[in-house]
Amino acid sequence: MKGLLFMKSLLSEINKSIGKNDDLYKWSQDFGNIQVVLVGLSSLIDFPKTIQLLEGQIQTVRHSSEVIVQQLHKIGKVKSEKKEIIEAIFEGELIIFIDELGLVISIDPVPKTLNRSIESPSSDNNIQGPLSAFNEDLSTNIGLLRKEFSSVELQVSSYTFGNSQKKGLSLLYCKDQVNNKLVENVTKQVESNLDKMLYTIQDVTKMLGLPKYSLISSFNTTESPQEVYSNLVKGRVVLFLDRLPYALILPSTLWDMFAIRNDENYSFVIMIALRLLRVIGAITALVLPGLYVALVAVNPEMLRIELALSVAKTREGVPYPAFVEVILMLVILELIIEASVRLPKSIGPTVTMVGGIVLGQAAVDARLVSNLLIIILAASTIASSTIVGFQNSFTIRIFKYNTLVLASIFGVLGVFTGLFLVCAYIASKTTLGIPYLSVKGEMKSG
Amino acid sequence: MDKSLYVVFMYIVSHAGLILFLYPENIIASTTQGHWVPIVIEVFVHFFILTVFLKGLNYFPKQNDLITIYTSAGKIIAFLFLVPIFLYFLTSNIITVRGYSEIITIVFLSNTPLWAIMVVLLAISSYLAIKGVEAIFRTGVLIFILLFPLIIFILVISFQNVDWHYVYPLWVEDFSFFSQSSYYKSYFAIGGVFLFLGFIRASIPYKNKYVLIAATAVIPIFLLSVYIPILVFGQATASTFLYPFVLAVDSINLTWFMFDRMTMFFLLSIIIFILLFISLVLWMIVRVLSKCIAPSIKPFYLVVAVSLLIFIICLFIPSWKDVEQLFLWNTILRFYVILGVPISVVILGIKSRLEGDIK
Repeated sequence: MKGLLFMKSLLSEINKSIGKNDDLYKWSQDFGNIQVVLVGLSSLIDFPKTIQLLEGQIQTVRHSSEVIVQQLHKIGKVKSEKKEIIEAIFEGELIIFIDELGLVISIDPVPKTLNRSIESPSSDNNIQGPLSAFNEDLSTNIGLLRKEFSSVELQVSSYTFGNSQKKGLSLLYCKDQVNNKLVENVTKQVESNLDKMLYTIQDVTKMLGLPKYSLISSFNTTESPQEVYSNLVKGRVVLFLDRLPYALILPSTLWDMFAIRNDENYSFVIMIALRLLRVIGAITALVLPGLYVALVAVNPEMLRIELALSVAKTREGVPYPAFVEVILMLVILELIIEASVRLPKSIGPTVTMVGGIVLGQAAVDARLVSNLLIIILAASTIASSTIVGFQNSFTIRIFKYNTLVLASIFGVLGVFTGLFLVCAYIASKTTLGIPYLSVKGEMKSG
Repeated sequence: MDKSLYVVFMYIVSHAGLILFLYPENIIASTTQGHWVPIVIEVFVHFFILTVFLKGLNYFPKQNDLITIYTSAGKIIAFLFLVPIFLYFLTSNIITVRGYSEIITIVFLSNTPLWAIMVVLLAISSYLAIKGVEAIFRTGVLIFILLFPLIIFILVISFQNVDWHYVYPLWVEDFSFFSQSSYYKSYFAIGGVFLFLGFIRASIPYKNKYVLIAATAVIPIFLLSVYIPILVFGQATASTFLYPFVLAVDSINLTWFMFDRMTMFFLLSIIIFILLFISLVLWMIVRVLSKCIAPSIKPFYLVVAVSLLIFIICLFIPSWKDVEQLFLWNTILRFYVILGVPISVVILGIKSRLEGDIK
C-alpha cells in the first residue's frame, strides 16, 4: 500500500514538472498480472517496437510476477529519486513504474533513429582515400575509430559534463605512444571541470585552460577516422564532444597545416610535391598582398624597369593609394568567402558569379582597382585555401593583414619583418607545454 | 631532449647576419694582400675561445648558466665579469640597431625617418625577447629554413662577375694588419655570438660537438664575405666602399629575374637574421638584470625598459662617424669579454672541481 502511494506521488510530481511536454508519453500496460506504467519521450523512443521487445523478453504467460520483476531488474536500473528519473527520461530512457511493488526501473529502449548515417566528409575532402566521416553521435564516432584502430593500445575514457544538462566527452589516446604528462594534464583539467557546460570548441578550449586569444587553433579538427588514427599513433590526444561531428586533436602543430595522412596514399614523390605545394601556398598567401603594396607604393625601384612601368600602367587612373585599394578588395573577397559559406547551396553559385563579375571585370573597367591587384588577390585567396584544415586557413588569412600593414609602412622591409613576426608568433605558441613548432618525437617521450 | 640543432641554426644564422655586414669592410681595410691570413687567424681565435669556453662550462652542472657561475664565485668576480658583459651586450645592440637602420635608409627606405626604422626593429625583437629563449631559438629554425637557401643562392650567384686574378698576391709580406684598428673591429663578428652558449645551458640543452660543427660551417661565410668583393672589384676599388659585399651583390645581373636588385633580398635576409640576434642579446641583457639586480620585476617590463634605453641612445647618435667611434670603444670591451670570459670560466671550473675533490 505504501508503495502505491509513493508511486502516485512520484508520478504526479513528474507530471507537474514535465507533464506539459506533448511528447511525454504515458502508457499503462499489463505484463502478466502486474500492472505497470511506461513513461518516456515519444520523440526519442520508438514505443511500438520497444513494447514489442519488452513483451518478447518477459514472456508473460509462463512466469509469475516475481520472475517478471527479476527479469526487469536484469535489463534495467532501479531509480528512486525524482531528479534522476527526470534526467533519465530526457536522456531517452524508458521508465517503468511498477505500482504494486513501488519500484521504478529505467531501461534502454529502441531509440528513434535521429542520427545521420555515416557519410563522406563535408569539409575534409579527399580524392583517393577512405570516405567515411564522423557524425554527431559519440558512440558511432568511437566505433568508427575502433574499426580503424583495432588494438588494445587504444584507450577510451568517457566523461559527462554539465549539471542541468548532460554532455558527453570522450578522451582517446594510444597507450604506448602518448606522452604521459600530456594525458595527465588533460585528464586533470577534464576532471576538475566536470560541472562546466560544453557546447562549442570555445568551451572546450576554456575547460582545458588553453589560451583564449590565440590566433592559432590549439586543436586540430578532422572528420576522418584515418587522420585521427595517424595522430593517435603520433602520440596525440583526441577528444570527441557529443553532437560535434569532428575529432579534436590535441595539440596541433605547424606541420598539420601541410601534411595529412591521406597524402601517403599517393606515391612518395607526389606526396612531397603536394606538401611542398601547400607550403608555397601558405607563404604566397602571407606575402603576396603585402609585396604588391610594397612594390607599388614604397619600393618600386626594386622591380625591373619594364616591369615597374607595366605595373604603373595598370594602376593608371586608380584614385587611391595602393594600401586602400588592397584593403578594399580584400574585404570584398572575405565577404564573398563568408557569404558562400552562409548561403544555401542552390544560391551559392550566384554569389560566386556575381562576385566574379564585380571583382574581375567591373571594378577594373571602372578604374577602381588595378587589374594586377585582382590577379594578386585571386592568387593569394586560392593559395590560402591549399592549407589543410579550415581553421588553419583562417589563421593564414588573418596573418596576411599583419604583413600587409607593415608593408604599407616599411615597404619590402615590412614584408620581411611581417614574416618574421609571424614566425615569432608561431614559434612562441605552446599547447599544454608542447610547442606548436615541435620537432619530430617531442610529443612522445614522457 | 637534445636541442643541439636549434643551437646550430642559431649559431649559423646570427654569424651570417654579423659577418656579411661590416666584416668585409674591416678586413679589406686592414690589409692589401693575402686576406685569407687575417681571416684564418681570426677563425683560429674563434675556435680557441669556443673550445676553452665550452670546456670551462663543462666543469659545471647543466643547470648552472654563466650568471650563476659568476655570482657563486663571489661578489668581486661577479662584478668584474657581469658588468662588462652587460655593457658589451648593450653597446653591441646599440651598434647593430643603429648600424642596420642606417643601411636600410641608405639602400631602400630613403624617405622613411631613421627613428621609425629603429622602432620597428626594436619593437619586433623585443616582442620575441619577451616570448622567451625557446621561442627565439624556434624562430631561428623557421628563419633558417625560409631564408638561408636564399643567402646560399646569392653567395653562389655572386661569383658571376668574378675575376680570379684578384686573388693575388696570396701571401702577406708583413703582418701589418695587427697594427690596424679595423682588424680588431672585425672581431665583432665572432665576439658577439658565442656567449649565448653560456646562457642557454639550462633551457636548451646542446652537445658541444654540434656547436663546433656549426662553427666549422661558418668558416666559408667568413672567407666568401671578404673574397667575393675582392674578386669582383679588386682590392683597390673594394677598399673604397663602406659596404663592399653589398655592392658586390648589387653587381649581379640576372636577366630572368623579375627583380632588379638582388641586394634587397640579400640585405633583408641579413636584417631578419640580425633581428634574431638583437632579440637574443636583449634576452641575455634582461637575464643578467633580472638575476642580479631586479629579480622582482617581470622580464616583460625589463625588456621594454632596455629597448627604450637602446632606442634613446640610438637617437643621440647623429651620424655614421659616431657609430664607428662607438664601435672602436666597443672593441676594448669586446676583447676583455671574448678572452676574459672563457678563460675565467675555465679557471673557476677547475677551482670548483678541485674544491669538490677535496670535499
